[in-house]
Amino acid sequence: MTYSHAIAAARLARLLLFVTIGIALSASVAVAQTFTPRDESPEEFPAGAGRDETFYTCTACHGFKLVAAQGMNRRQWDDSINWMMEKHRMPPLEAKERDAVLNYLEAAFPPRAPAGGGGFQNPFMKR
Amino acid sequence: MPERIERSIEELYRDDPAKADAEVFGRETGPSRRGFLNGAGLAAMGAAVGGAIPFAANMPGGMIPAAMAQSSPAGMPPSASPAPASAAPKGPQYLKFPGKSDKLVVLGERPLVAETPENLLDDDTTPTDKLFVRNNGQTPEENKEPDKWKFVVDGEVNNKLELTLGELKAKYKPVTRRLVLECGGNGRSFFTPQARGNQWTNGGAGCSEWTGVRLADVLKAAGVKSSAVFSGHYGADPHLSGTGVTLSRGVPIKKLMDENNLIVWQLNGQPLPNIHGGPVRLMIPGWPGSVSAKWLNRIWIRDKIHDGPGMGATSYRVAIKPMVPGDKPDEKNFRDLESMPIRSIITSPANGTKLPAGTKEVKLRGAAWAGDLTVRQVDVSTDFGATWTSAKVEKPKNKYDWQRWTATVKLPSDGYFEIWTRGTDAKGTMQPHIAGNWNPQGYGGNPMHRVAVLVG
Ligand code: HEC
Repeated sequence: MTYSHAIAAARLARLLLFVTIGIALSASVAVAQTFTPRDESPEEFPAGAGRDETFYTCTACHGFKLVAAQGMNRRQWDDSINWMMEKHRMPPLEAKERDAVLNYLEAAFPPRAPAGGGGFQNPFMKR
Repeated sequence: MPERIERSIEELYRDDPAKADAEVFGRETGPSRRGFLNGAGLAAMGAAVGGAIPFAANMPGGMIPAAMAQSSPAGMPPSASPAPASAAPKGPQYLKFPGKSDKLVVLGERPLVAETPENLLDDDTTPTDKLFVRNNGQTPEENKEPDKWKFVVDGEVNNKLELTLGELKAKYKPVTRRLVLECGGNGRSFFTPQARGNQWTNGGAGCSEWTGVRLADVLKAAGVKSSAVFSGHYGADPHLSGTGVTLSRGVPIKKLMDENNLIVWQLNGQPLPNIHGGPVRLMIPGWPGSVSAKWLNRIWIRDKIHDGPGMGATSYRVAIKPMVPGDKPDEKNFRDLESMPIRSIITSPANGTKLPAGTKEVKLRGAAWAGDLTVRQVDVSTDFGATWTSAKVEKPKNKYDWQRWTATVKLPSDGYFEIWTRGTDAKGTMQPHIAGNWNPQGYGGNPMHRVAVLVG
């Protein structure tokens, strides 16, 4: 599959929302104490080449919010994909797919400028 | 084909996802759960959803694309026009869940992770609705017959135990303790460069009343052999990918035998709620919360260091020899994070409080805790740490309780002030100004807590 094919295919992939077994199962028994996550869609996240592929590759198990909360360089994202495969049962990606995913992650979620305050944010600053 | 029409795809997947894959698409799910579709199956699935499926190989087995499901939970029109770029919800997202405060901040919904803003930790005993939530896998169904919940104690023991909650309650003496529960990643957001994982501020912690039996009493009944080295704890929460163990961590036998560890079934006098690991969980206070297995179903006594998911590499581990922040880790240079570090927080006033013009004095309340240690001292500053005032620190109710503190600070004028707090543990170790000892997954981040107030 060429890269542009992948993009075109990804548009169609928006039709898909991968539902984990757990959700499929829990949907059958309505239980007050079971938490149902809100559905996410790729459009909620920064636009960019490879967004949809990345979204669907990375949301089979967990929310994309977890991915979007990170700020890392390409090497760290690459390490993170290895980590997903080694520790969290992610199936390996083909080289081209991996590249497309890395391109998006690198562009959309780079290391955040050091705040200097170590996570502290001035609540009074006018934005 | 006819069979498939009689039973909906949804039903098939509900009954047996792997079988459904095989039946509907001829997809074989291997042990690695790679969703291999053979050519025909892939075409069938593609046709069913109206298009090719990119990255089909990544689609974990047993997952039904919602576009095919009878009732799509999203109910999204397939051709919904894309929202403008970066339409992700701005600002904190608050938890909506029965029995939980709607002021908890959601860090993730799948898995469910929500933290308690510091100012919500203002009660001496953290009420259940304000206690943080850290689930690592799928949240199991609520158990309807708690007393029948079963767990085993096996491995290096003379008598393997299989106990129901009912038997546990009947055989051992219950105790109630106020204990800090703290996520190992608490404070992760303070690292620079950013460390990987849920971006906790200080809110992955709380101190509630836990009722259960002493783990040591149960271990005595099991008769731990002299070959025992470590434990491995297991819970019933399914892995996010659908198969296997989500997380299984453990502690050295010395820590396991500590008389303060409990097997609990009550939180603040009520049955332990499902999202907090009910009906039964472990409470191994002072260490990363991940050793306090939720939905407890097994304590495995081992003759070597446990190697379950969440042990080893850089998981719940810190660098031995300090590493360059952001660099690739050398996994041989890591040791388990054991006792959690000293942390003091200001629970009142809240960050961002506006005070009337002319306010000259502010009363502060807070809490401090230090893993296995007690808190020796808490200091506060209103001038970015140039000068410090000591707070009045209360004694813990019992070991592993947090210590509440109060202080009054004077403000010289109107304007913008930051109030900082710095705890010191029983060994004299203080909280640093910034999160030090960087590690890839951000453990041990405990810089001083600061809140800003505006006078006038
Ligand atoms: C097969 C399942 C699976 C897939 C697919 C997957 N992950 Fe994960 N990921 C996990 C699990 C399990 C965790 C741990 C979740 C937790 O503890 O809350 C995790 C955690 C993470 C974390 C948090 C750091 C950590 O180590 O806990 C990041 C970042 C992450 N994943 C990124 C990604 C990215 C990027 C992708 C796509 C390239 C991806 N994941 C795909 C299973 C998966």
